[in-house]
Formats: sequence, C-alpha cells, structure tokens
Amino acid sequence: MALLTLENVSVAYDNQYILKDFNLNIEKGQLISLLGPSGCGKTTTLRLIAGFLEAKDGRFLFDGKDYTRVPVNKRNFGFVFQSYALFPHMSVFDNVAFGLRLRKVSETEVKQRVEQILDVVSLAGFEKRFPKELSGGQRQRVAIARALVIQPDLLLFDEPLSNLDANLRVNMRVEIRRIQQELGITTVYVSHDQEECFSISDRVAIMNKGVIEQLDDPATIFKYPKTEFIARFIGFNNFITFGERTEQDGEIELRVGGHRFAATHNPGTANAQAKKCAMRPDDLIVTTEAQADLETNRLPGTVKISTFLGRSYQYVVETDLGDFTVNQEMETPYKSGQTVHLLFPKDKMVLVD
Amino acid sequence: MQEKNRGLALFTLLVFVFLLGPLVIISFTSFEPGTVLKFPPEGFSWRWYENIFEVKMFMTTFGTSMFVSLVGNLLALLLGVPAAYALSRFQFKGKGLLNAVFISPVLIPGIVMGFAMLKYVIITYNLPIYAGLLIGHTVIMLPFIIRVVASSLSNFDFAIEEAALSLGAGKVETFFKVVLPNIRSGIIAAILIAFLESFNNVDISVFMTGPGVSTLPIQMLTYVENNFDPTIAALSVLLMIITAILMFIIERMMGLSYFTKR
Amino acid sequence: MKNKGMYLLLLPGVLFLTLFLVIPIVMTIASTFYQEGSFTVQGYFTFLTDPYNLKILWTTLRVSLVTTIACILLGFPAAYYISKLGARKKGILLALAIFPLLTSSVVRSFSWMIILGKKGLLNSSLLSIGLIEKPLEILYTPTAMMIGLIHLFLPLIIITLVGVMENIDPDLLKAAESLGASRFTAFRQVILPLSMPGLIIGSILVFVGSLTAYTTPALLGGKQGVISTFLYQNAITLNDWHMASVIATIMIVITFVVIGLMNKIATKLNPKG
Repeated sequence: MALLTLENVSVAYDNQYILKDFNLNIEKGQLISLLGPSGCGKTTTLRLIAGFLEAKDGRFLFDGKDYTRVPVNKRNFGFVFQSYALFPHMSVFDNVAFGLRLRKVSETEVKQRVEQILDVVSLAGFEKRFPKELSGGQRQRVAIARALVIQPDLLLFDEPLSNLDANLRVNMRVEIRRIQQELGITTVYVSHDQEECFSISDRVAIMNKGVIEQLDDPATIFKYPKTEFIARFIGFNNFITFGERTEQDGEIELRVGGHRFAATHNPGTANAQAKKCAMRPDDLIVTTEAQADLETNRLPGTVKISTFLGRSYQYVVETDLGDFTVNQEMETPYKSGQTVHLLFPKDKMVLVD
Repeated sequence: MQEKNRGLALFTLLVFVFLLGPLVIISFTSFEPGTVLKFPPEGFSWRWYENIFEVKMFMTTFGTSMFVSLVGNLLALLLGVPAAYALSRFQFKGKGLLNAVFISPVLIPGIVMGFAMLKYVIITYNLPIYAGLLIGHTVIMLPFIIRVVASSLSNFDFAIEEAALSLGAGKVETFFKVVLPNIRSGIIAAILIAFLESFNNVDISVFMTGPGVSTLPIQMLTYVENNFDPTIAALSVLLMIITAILMFIIERMMGLSYFTKR
Repeated sequence: MKNKGMYLLLLPGVLFLTLFLVIPIVMTIASTFYQEGSFTVQGYFTFLTDPYNLKILWTTLRVSLVTTIACILLGFPAAYYISKLGARKKGILLALAIFPLLTSSVVRSFSWMIILGKKGLLNSSLLSIGLIEKPLEILYTPTAMMIGLIHLFLPLIIITLVGVMENIDPDLLKAAESLGASRFTAFRQVILPLSMPGLIIGSILVFVGSLTAYTTPALLGGKQGVISTFLYQNAITLNDWHMASVIATIMIVITFVVIGLMNKIATKLNPKG
C-alpha cells in the first residue's frame, strides 16, 4: 500500500484550476520527483502535501490516515525551501534546534541531536555561525539539517538547488541522494531541471498543465517518453506524424508521402495506434548518397545550417517532411547547401501519443 | 561639463543654505542675553533655556504631548501592525480599497480631519479633550505605522514563516518567534517616525484644546502670538536636538531610503 | 494566498478609522446639504458669492501655485545634482534635506519670523548696507507665506525626485549622447521624461500641502487669511459650524480633484506606459 495518496484533489485560485481531480501515490522510502515547466502545478502539489494550501476537493491520505484537514504544524513533515528560509536572527544551532524545542525535547537531547544531524550534513563546527555568514551551499545544508532533525515522516524539497551555482548543484544533489538513502526517508522533490530529477529519483512524475503525463523510473522515461510533450521536454526535438501504420509480427511500419519507416514499439503509450514518432538529434545520422543504400528509414535532404558545437556539428537538414536537427561528430563537416541523406535507426524511432 | 557641474553644485549649495540657514539662525538667537530676538545675538546666555522650565504651560503641555504621542503610538501599533501584516502577507479582493482607507489620514487635509473629529467624535460622544487628542493622534500615526512596517515586511521572506510552521510552530507562536524579531528595526523606525509626526502635529491638536489642555506645538503658537522673546528659539533648539537624535536612530534602523520612496 | 484569520487582523484598524475618521468626514460633508431639516446648497451659494471668501480662496490657490512652481524650479536641479553624487555624499545631503522635514513646522515658521520681521535679520541687513531706507513689510503678507511654504515643502520634492532620479540608469544618458544628442537634448529627452512620475507626485504633495497648510499661514500670513485658517476661524472663533463644514468640504473636493487630475496627467505622461 502506498504511504501517501492524493485522491481526486483539486486546487483553484480565483476559480482557475491549478490541479483538477489530481491523483498521486508514493511508496514508502522512495524519492519521487515532480518535474515540469513553471506553471505545471508541481509546486502547488508539493505545497498541498506540506499543508500550506488547502484543497478545494479531494482527500489526502498519509499512512492510512486522513490528513486533508491536518494543519501544517501538526503534520511532522520536513520542508526544504528554494530560498532556504533560514531564520536570519538565529544561529545555525538555534535554527536546527527550533523544531526540537517546539517538541519540548530536553536541552541535553537537543544538543546531542543537533550535533549529530550537523555531522550528517558535514557542518559540524558551524553551530555558532549566523545564516548570513554562510555560503549558499552551507545554508542549504542547514536547511536540510533543520528539516531532518525533527525525524519527519516525509521530506519535501522545493527546487532546493536552483539558487546554487552549477558545480555546487551537482555536489549537493549527490549529497541529498546520499542522505535520503542513508535515512530511508520518503521524499518528494520538485524541480524544473530534468537532469537533477533523473539523477536522484527512484521515480519521476512529469507534469503538464496540472496533470501527471508520465510517472516512471528515470531510465524508462528517458527511453520511452509517453507523449510528445514529454519527448520535447527531455530533448527529443525531431517529430514525424505519419499517415498510415501497419503492424506485422511485432514489426511496425509507418508511411507518409511515399516514404516508409520502421519503428520500435513504445510500451508506455496509451494509444496502440500512435502515428507520431520522436527522435533525438544525437540519434539521427547524416550521410552522403554514396553511403546510403537503405530502402527504408531514409530521407533525402539539403543541409540548411551547419553550426560548430565544439565536440560535434549541428546540422539543420531540410527535407520534404520538414526540417530535422542532427548532432554528429565528423572530421570534415557537411556544408550548407550540400545534398545529403538522413538515416533514422529503427530502434531510435520512438512512438509517442 | 566640469563648468556646468560647478554651477549646479553652487545652486544646490544655495538651496541648502535656504533650507538650513533659518534653523541655524534660530539656534544663534536662542543665546541672546537681551529680551528681544536678535541676529547676531549681542552676547551669550543660557537664560532663555532656563526660562523654558519656568513657563509652567510649556511643562504641562510637553507632558500632554508626550502622553498623547506615546500612548497613541502604542494604540496605533496594536491596530497597525496586524493590518500591515495582513496587507503584506495575503492577496485578496478589496485590498486596494483597504489600502486607500488606511492611507486616507495622509490624504485628507489635517485641518479638515481636526474639525470633523471635533464635531463628530468629541462633541457627538461628549468625550473629554484628552480622549479626543488621543484618538486624533492615533488616527494620524496609523498610516505611518502601516507604511513603515509594510515596507519592512516587503523585505521579509514569508517562506521563513512557513518554515517555522512546518517545524511545528503555531501561527501566533510563529509571528512572535520568527516574524517579529526580523522586522524589529522596522517597527522601531515606525514608532519613531509616527512619534515625530504626532509630536509635531498642529492641524488636529489645534481643534482639541480645552481649559488647561493643550499640546506643546499649540502652546508655542499661542506663546508666539503674545511674546517675542527668545524662549521659543531656545525651545526650538531643544526640539531640533530631539529630532536629530530620533532621525539618527531611524537611519540606523532602516536607512533613509524610506523617505525617498513615494 | 487567503486566510480566514486575515480579516481579524484587519478589522480593528478598519473599524477604528471608520468610526473616528471616515464617518466624521462623511457626516461633515453630508451636513453641508442639510439645514433645518431640509436639503439645501445655500452654504455653498453664500460662500461662493461673498467677495471676501473668494479673495481668500484666490489667495490660497495663488500662494499654492507659486509655492509649487518655486519648489520645482529650486528642487529639480538640486535633486539632479544630489542623485549624481556618490553614496556617501548623497546620504549626507539627503539627511540634511530630511532633517527640516522632520522638524516641527512651528519651529520652521518661527525661524522666518525672525528673518522677515520688521526689525528682522533681512531688514536690518538691508538697512545697514543702505539698500533700503525704511523696513520692508514682508512678514504677515502672502510673500512671507510663500517663503515659509517653499521652505516647508522644498525638502519633500527634493527627496521625492532623488528617489526617482537615482533609479535612472546613467548609461541611458551616455546612450543618448552616443546617438548624437547634445548634453542638453539628452537631459531633456531622457532625464526629464523619466523623472516625470517623481515630479508629478512631488508637485501634488507640495500643492495639496500648501493648499491645506495651517501653521505657516497662521504664523507668517497675519490677517491675510487662507482657506485653512478661515476654516479654523469659522469653527472656533465665529462658531459658524455650517460655514466651517462648507469650507471643509470645499477643501476635500479641491484636494481630491487635484490628486485625480495630476494622476491623470501622470498616466498620460508616464513614459513606461
């Protein structure tokens, strides 16, 4: 049974729905990410779970109990804010001790538990510092320690790394994953950075316009995006919409404008007759006619733009099915205006809804 | 370019001479040993400073002014801080209207407010003058408290408040343990700005004087009408010193940028 | 985000202001339309047909207008100069401008009595250098009022303008000059329009402030009445409460018309649309 369940939840501001009949289940001990562009409802979902927002309709169950009307301060969830939200007038020690003192824990135990958790986030010795004397990464660790020390039943992260610079971001996400696994604490993590979500999550929920479009483990999503929206979001930017689709012995054949393509099955799609294919720019191949001898999955075209990317070249190739973007390593690059052929490896043609 | 800036600098200097010169002159004349105000003074004497403390009405009205400004300040804080918090924290319909209501004591001419309050508060409810003064001064301090506290809350990250809630603190507990300590300097500045506004007020107090009850500025007005000795100059110097000290604290608390924002 | 407790926080303040400010003001206005139980506009008729009253109204408007124009002419260049200074010097000059603003208006008006009086500083210096033969009668005239009011409100327009001007990106002026504008043209086409919001707000504050000021006219204007001293006189000295209410209403109307009008101009002139 799921630890956390959102059941037909709706949230609205001024009669405009952010979430409508929203459902989500989270298993105990997992780290699940909510990923999506701004305005997709991910932060609203997180704030709803935390108790900062009230649902208009629906139920929120936690550990078998109805939490829908339980106020924030009675939920015992740890929340890590984007702005860290450290108490500026308190030292690191007092910040971390805040929740424990509210729980009437004895001062000796407070001291012991604060020191222990500061050790976990590698901040031992920083007890007397004030937030403004800390770097961004250190503040983030204090915020995490403060949320962890109360031994929360659930840990919530709201874009915790977006105020850090790129290097620190990578270090911190490894750190967050380490702590989460060490303590085995169920965690909901919100971000708009897909690399961040994919790297630390057990499962990722990709949200769009208040709906979860796909909830899977990162590898599956990466390989088999269910919808065009998800495909675009994770870097597929070539699409072909076909006119006809036939299937024989598990082999899918697609046709459009006199061209024939073979494609692999996408286990994720809801529509068994999906006729749209998505391809990553890294997976297509540009070649000259002489080398191209394939019957299918081949398209003639002209190089329109050629851009040097450092390790590879990026080509925009114009064909009668539209423009395609391809990244390819090559010692002698193709030139603008050159006639080429585009090859579409069968296993890289992903059918999406 | 250099030439032009020099012209502008000279112009600015003259503007400041115009602004501050009269205050400097009044300070000099306060040390005049004779009975008539003169500039430059014909000698040096503290006698008019001593005289302030001999005019009983200055002492009583100073007491009244202090009482009204301090107690009114407390009332304005009790009414204004929660309102400023609600106006900064929440988005809701009718917020614009409420803002207008709270700012109205600044927009409505003081002399009109004084008259309207005399007629429809003091006389209608048959209140003692003291109560009228207190109410009137609370009204004029309220917008300053709300504005300064709201501007200090605008720099406050409300996520901090949510952090306290998520750690188990109640709403009231959160306000006193987390919000208040972080806007403390704003509140101190608000108290001082409102105090000056009330202590110097003439427009409302002028309608609320009765037998034996008056505020210091009103008493000064009356005194000037009948006497032209340097006592008022000496008193002015003392008031300017108080003003300078309070302004210095305000600057320490929240800088002076509050005054340049409209 | 909404919250039910929010109304509880707002209620005391709203109630207090409604009871002690909004209702009294509304009652004051309403009372001008009723006399002996029936609707009337006689009060306004009486006020507006008496040449003495009209003269007071005219003096008030004239004094306020001159004060506003003088404050703009003196304040704008000074504010521009201050806004270009480094943080430290700017802070000092701002503090020197704010100090008079926080000082009692009684003190400030009184200082001009010392200067402008018959035996005051101005007359005695002018007499001693032989520029005049008998003392000038400045104190207790509209001129004295104007000087006092300019002194009272000049800091307000300076600090308001500095607040707006210091937010104008100095590169804009360089950009304009690089495009071929002379220094003067650049100032007129860039600084002036971008300062407009501050100039308009500052002018409203000065004009409305002068229109309704009490202390300065009372001390420096002598028998020369303005509308606020006239209101006081009617209410307290003459005990004509109906006329006082009429004057109060006229002051409110003028104030709000001026604010509304200037706001309209501000929206029209606002370069940011």
